[in-house]
Amino acid sequence: MKLRSGDAGGFDTVFLHGDCDLYSAPKMRNAVVKRIDTGIRRLRLDFEGVSYLDSTGVGAIIQILQAMKVVSGDVVFRGLHGAPRKVLELSNVISLMKIESDGGER
Amino acid sequence: MSQLIVRKLIVDERNELFDAQGMKYAEFPSEYARIREFSSALLEECPERFREGTLLEQQVSEIIKNAVKHGNKSDPAKRVRVWYDLRRRVRLIVEDEGEGFLELDDWNAFLVRRQTALHNQDFDEFLQLASWKGKNSTPDDGGNSLIAALEYWNGGMVFNAARNKVGVVRWYSNGSA
Repeated sequence: MKLRSGDAGGFDTVFLHGDCDLYSAPKMRNAVVKRIDTGIRRLRLDFEGVSYLDSTGVGAIIQILQAMKVVSGDVVFRGLHGAPRKVLELSNVISLMKIESDGGER
Repeated sequence: MSQLIVRKLIVDERNELFDAQGMKYAEFPSEYARIREFSSALLEECPERFREGTLLEQQVSEIIKNAVKHGNKSDPAKRVRVWYDLRRRVRLIVEDEGEGFLELDDWNAFLVRRQTALHNQDFDEFLQLASWKGKNSTPDDGGNSLIAALEYWNGGMVFNAARNKVGVVRWYSNGSA
């Protein structure tokens, strides 16, 4: 999985590309939590480039949400589609997530 | 408010989901680095309409991972045995050589607390309970694979008495679940 970062609309944005799975998700989590630790409080995770998400990836999302909660920050998600979105629905974790569509946050 | 219904993991040694008659068979060494490779190999001849993008492969991979990592402790000398049938629906039986899922009852109790928080829209509590953390869990364990699995395997998910063997089935109709 590759991560690329940028800034858009006041949110520090991380674009994810590739499989978010048991091998790559811990590294993704560590990289994103490190951004929170360095002071990022408005974060967007863009999953447009992710077509495979497993329970380790879902766990990483939970840990990112928990880390941001501790510092009273804001994390939004965009680009979730297909099987990754379905996995988040099956585990109910999607109910914890602010989902942004092309037209803005839902 | 709607009634809360929480599914649970069940133990039933004699369940029909453990009838392997007519099923194909494969076995793998418990190599953590090859979990996705093994899962993909099982599905080589799977009809496209069962795959649902990457969802089926992911759900199969979760069961194999649980057997390799939690059951066999990633000991390559220990085997994971798999019976599978991809004809009219997807059925799997996966067995490891571990001590079994001894915390199954605790997990069921955890799921009731978790789903109750969600039902009550207590999202602070739900966030704390989103992931299962058992006594052998590591920081990299997602702690949610069984929660999704209970929903995904819509025809049942059953453990044997030793709790080291699981049977699952997903039914489809008109090409979709």
